[in-house]
Amino acid sequence: MAAELPRLPEQLPTSKVRYVGKEVKRVEDPALVSGTTEFIDNLTLPNMLHCAILRSPHPHARIVKVDASAAEAMEGVVAVLTPEDVKRWANAVVTSPPGWGTHCLAIDKALFVGEPVAAVAATSRHLAEDACELIEVEYEILPSVGTATAALEADAPVLWEEHGTNIIQQRTYSWGEVDRVFAEADHVVTNSFRWNRCGANPTETFGCVCQWDLTDNSLTCHGAYQVPGFWGLARSMSLNLPANKVKVISHPQGGAFGGKGGARGTDIAALLSRKAGGLPVKYIEDRMEYLLAGASQSWDRHYDASLALKADGTITGFKVKLLDDQGATTETYATISVAKPLAAFTGNYRIEAAQYDTTLVVTNRAPAAPYRGYGPPPHFLVLENLVDMAARKLAMDPAELRRINYIRPEQFPYTIPSGNEYDSGNYEAVLDKVLRLADYAALRKEQAAARAAGRLVGISVANTVEPGVFDWNAYATVGVQGVGVPEGARVSVDILGNITVVVGFNLQGQGQFTVAAQVVADYFGADMNSVKVTMASTDLAPPHFGQGGSRLGVAITGAVLGACQKLEADFRRLVAHLMGGVPVEQIELMDGRFRMKANPTVGMSLAEVAGVMLGRSDLLPPGMEPNPTATSVWTAPGRNMPDDQGRCRSYLTAANAAHVVMVEVDRQTGRTEILKYFIVDDCGTRLNPATVEGQIQGAVAQGVGAALLEEYVYDAQANPLVTTFVDYLMPTIHEVPITQRDFVVTPSPVTPLGAKGCGEGAIHTTPAAVICAINDALAPLGIEVTETPASPMRVWKLLQQAGAAG
Amino acid sequence: MTAKQHTTVTVNGRVYQRDVEPRLTLADFLRHELHLGGTHVGCEHGVCGACTVLINGRAAHSCLTLAVQADGAEVTTVEGLKNRETGQLHPIQQAFVDAHGLQCGFCTPGFLMTTLELLRDNPEPSDEEIKEALGGNLCRCTGYESIMASVQLAARRLRESGGV
Amino acid sequence: MKAASFDYHAPQTLEAAVALLQQFDREGVDAKVLAGGQSLMPMLNMRVARPQVLIDLGRVPGLDYIRAEGDTIAIGAMTSKRSAEDSALLKDRQPLFHAATRLVGHRQIRNRGTVGGSFAHADPSAEYPAVALVQNVQMKAQGPDGVRLITATDFFVTYMTTCLETAEVLTEVRLPALPPGTGWSIQEFTKRDGDLALAGVVATLRRVKGLCEDVRICAFGVNATAVRLPAAEAALQGRPPTTESFARAAALAGESVQEPINDVHASPDYRRQLVKVLTGRCLAEAAARAT
Repeated sequence: MAAELPRLPEQLPTSKVRYVGKEVKRVEDPALVSGTTEFIDNLTLPNMLHCAILRSPHPHARIVKVDASAAEAMEGVVAVLTPEDVKRWANAVVTSPPGWGTHCLAIDKALFVGEPVAAVAATSRHLAEDACELIEVEYEILPSVGTATAALEADAPVLWEEHGTNIIQQRTYSWGEVDRVFAEADHVVTNSFRWNRCGANPTETFGCVCQWDLTDNSLTCHGAYQVPGFWGLARSMSLNLPANKVKVISHPQGGAFGGKGGARGTDIAALLSRKAGGLPVKYIEDRMEYLLAGASQSWDRHYDASLALKADGTITGFKVKLLDDQGATTETYATISVAKPLAAFTGNYRIEAAQYDTTLVVTNRAPAAPYRGYGPPPHFLVLENLVDMAARKLAMDPAELRRINYIRPEQFPYTIPSGNEYDSGNYEAVLDKVLRLADYAALRKEQAAARAAGRLVGISVANTVEPGVFDWNAYATVGVQGVGVPEGARVSVDILGNITVVVGFNLQGQGQFTVAAQVVADYFGADMNSVKVTMASTDLAPPHFGQGGSRLGVAITGAVLGACQKLEADFRRLVAHLMGGVPVEQIELMDGRFRMKANPTVGMSLAEVAGVMLGRSDLLPPGMEPNPTATSVWTAPGRNMPDDQGRCRSYLTAANAAHVVMVEVDRQTGRTEILKYFIVDDCGTRLNPATVEGQIQGAVAQGVGAALLEEYVYDAQANPLVTTFVDYLMPTIHEVPITQRDFVVTPSPVTPLGAKGCGEGAIHTTPAAVICAINDALAPLGIEVTETPASPMRVWKLLQQAGAAG
Repeated sequence: MTAKQHTTVTVNGRVYQRDVEPRLTLADFLRHELHLGGTHVGCEHGVCGACTVLINGRAAHSCLTLAVQADGAEVTTVEGLKNRETGQLHPIQQAFVDAHGLQCGFCTPGFLMTTLELLRDNPEPSDEEIKEALGGNLCRCTGYESIMASVQLAARRLRESGGV
Repeated sequence: MKAASFDYHAPQTLEAAVALLQQFDREGVDAKVLAGGQSLMPMLNMRVARPQVLIDLGRVPGLDYIRAEGDTIAIGAMTSKRSAEDSALLKDRQPLFHAATRLVGHRQIRNRGTVGGSFAHADPSAEYPAVALVQNVQMKAQGPDGVRLITATDFFVTYMTTCLETAEVLTEVRLPALPPGTGWSIQEFTKRDGDLALAGVVATLRRVKGLCEDVRICAFGVNATAVRLPAAEAALQGRPPTTESFARAAALAGESVQEPINDVHASPDYRRQLVKVLTGRCLAEAAARAT
């Protein structure tokens, strides 16, 4: 990168920032409200076939025989993909750690209910499903492993014979003098928690249209892909194709939240296309498939944790023991959700020592997947609950116990024991603001009155650090390689001065195209609506990653700014030359004009400069190309390789938030009602405040779902019992509280324009806030919720055991 | 193979005649027979509401309706909202844009159609009435707050301009 | 999730519909009646229901009405729940049924779903069967042998099963008037607004000389069909409408539920608890409404 990127919007070459930081309307919205956006199922290609997948009904079974003859003979069926085909043509997917991934179809064994065993390409999805019913599969049922604890038993069936164990990885990290601080502690609070599976469930499931070109052995995949370049690379490896022969065209997605998935679906559709002589094959995952075997299930965890404190409330140590059920394989990179907590392990607190004892196991449940937050949400539930327990033990107000333990503003950049460096923060300012917003003292009075009347009313004050702008090094502890995540943008100006921005990803709801347009428009003094932002397929795109780890707003801003700077440099050089060879330093860009610093009335507009560059080669300085285009690839500065305890500078930014929640628990039914909800967040510069607010409220909804409603239930043999939206309870408009919000801005000193990653947002904090509030309500009864979701039945059972049910 | 049924459906004011398999849902009919892809499919069991259209003026899950059941009916989809001559967005659509009532936009057409029915029946709905009407539409992105604001904004603008 | 193939008929008269059902029954062909489709279509899409034939009642005229016939309100089987919800007549004369209607699902479901469909589907967590048992609702059915009236107790047999013969079509439900001064209540417990009830209770009672008379309590969502709770009814019968009386009846209501449904959302014990709690709330509300 050339010069340093602007650190704040005010540093952009404009006298008045018109777009960055303003609540501008989104460029993609008119098409979305018109219904014309081309989501993947809106794509039709000539002669396109439709794929349906036959799935294992057993959690663990050897596949003895697959007879596809009747299906192949059915009218309308063009190809049937069998395990034999896949064994011949494809590889198991690469995983982290390596060796725990399978082929897209089960070859020798099915490892979970819903695992694909065969697939059909037919002239309609209806016929493809009909044909699947004609495929005869002979299974030899094997004993299954239904839970993580069962996976660890000495006589447990071993699911992966080649590994000889159900343990994927077992590691303990120790940071600081953990044993000493716990030995010297005046108080130790300990608890166990069970977080049950919940997951992304975007309104649009996964889909793709794949076409195998048999003439040059290349593959084109259209699809609802979150991370196109990475995806293409992974497909080239599973499908035995050179990486530059796999073209991925990402379509706008109907949400993703990390849980879009589709690796198997893509490989299956691609191989069907290959088998069907190169006809395009569309696979649209339906909701039941998604719930059963898509990237839908996350965070299946058993926690034992403790906090060490001094008598004055200083938290000195935090120990976590985690048993994580990854499901049958690690194909969707849910292992990363165990590593990511290192990026913010000790939250907002100055805890000096910590320990993380992790065991990742396989079971016959569905493979777990990433989900917004990617690990920290359950982790923070554990931490914040322990802090509240400590507060109760010490008879301190939970807000005050947190306050005295906060990292102080002057301590930033602050390196936490697990190694990451927080960029900036003012936790006390955020806390004070939310306590004021909530009128905390009045809430506690209200609670006291309610308690006197026998009502179970609880209040929580929960805060977290929301790590943003991920790097691969954060996940090294589960085998992910590399440092540095690129995001590129190509900015070009045409002969009439119109600006186009090309990026490598497509939209999924957070509005990054609009952010890019805002930045470019302010940089070059253009009208935002005249800036075109578009996605290039992976063969044409600059290096990129796409959405993930709350990075893209920051990363694309950095890329766009970098490209704008390069363009600016070239244009200034041209203008200096056109003005008779004045030194380049005497030319500045301001409000879209390149002008003489000494005499600002003398200058040229962007359009004039581009017009000359492209239309008057006779006027160009020697060696200047007629190329008003610049590509810049941004990556977070200052990243490093982790040490043997996983310590490294990983996530670049540390946004934070404090939530105050008031709930009431119905003594008779165990139902929790959220009465009031207050949030103050700090994500640095807010590039588009409307977008930021939308991310917060949306993440609250998911957090409430996780805390109270959503759960994938299995029986002891790993048969799924929750398989439709009748039983997987997504929050409707009735279940989501409208939160009252305010914010603080502590810019990041290390990012372009000072923004921090904020896309994952409130999901880090909401589950903790809601559960802590319930536990505050139940505390006088001596009971607590230690399992999510805190369904009415679970809470009622606790009340009943305490003799306190109504 | 089952016999196809000759089906006549008026969609957004235009009459379509097709021979369809009985098992074809109205959602699939609209999307893949008529190439009106704005109605989206999210669950196919009547919970998410992404597929909501108006059938004879009433909001309905098109995934739970057979195309043949819509024979003779008037269906309104999101494509029917825009002003056909001017291309201008319907006030409800514009309100969603202005109040940021969408993020990924996949659920949005369903919300627009439910809102259209609501505001035709009830031009000045209370918050409770809005929630009651929208309870059958799921959104995973917004947390519903901006959707409520969009409906309220649409209602106000429609009242000011003389109705839906 | 695409339905398996089926043949489709849309008869233009009730007689034709019955004749088709009779014909397919004789031929051993599995035929199902399609009303609003809100319960059947998910099952078709998931392929858990795979009839060979669907007989759509949507073209049969004369089944969509709500009318008073003296003290009785007659509702045509193909009346949408939306129409029931919007009916001033129902709200005024059959407030319990009207309130039950508003609890069903959400707007889109009520717009298409029919009154008759719910009765014929006989879902254990449905509200209407409980109202039917408490109010002695009668079902009118037409079959090859003509028309008959069926009492609610006869109609609901077990899980998703009514006493309707294979070739019979439910054409009407008949709601007798609530006796003057009757107080009523329907309460259900769901995790989310609009969900199928984990448990629900319907209650009616009258106040005569300060005591509770004609107490009827029916639970739904806890057994294969809605069930009256006679032990709880007897406990309140002739007692004053006090919190203590309600609590006693409610406790008995919970205890008397036989082998409640056990599923991922609610254990048998929890369902008993819900029945107890909802009964208490229902009785209080019904007593408050009784005049």
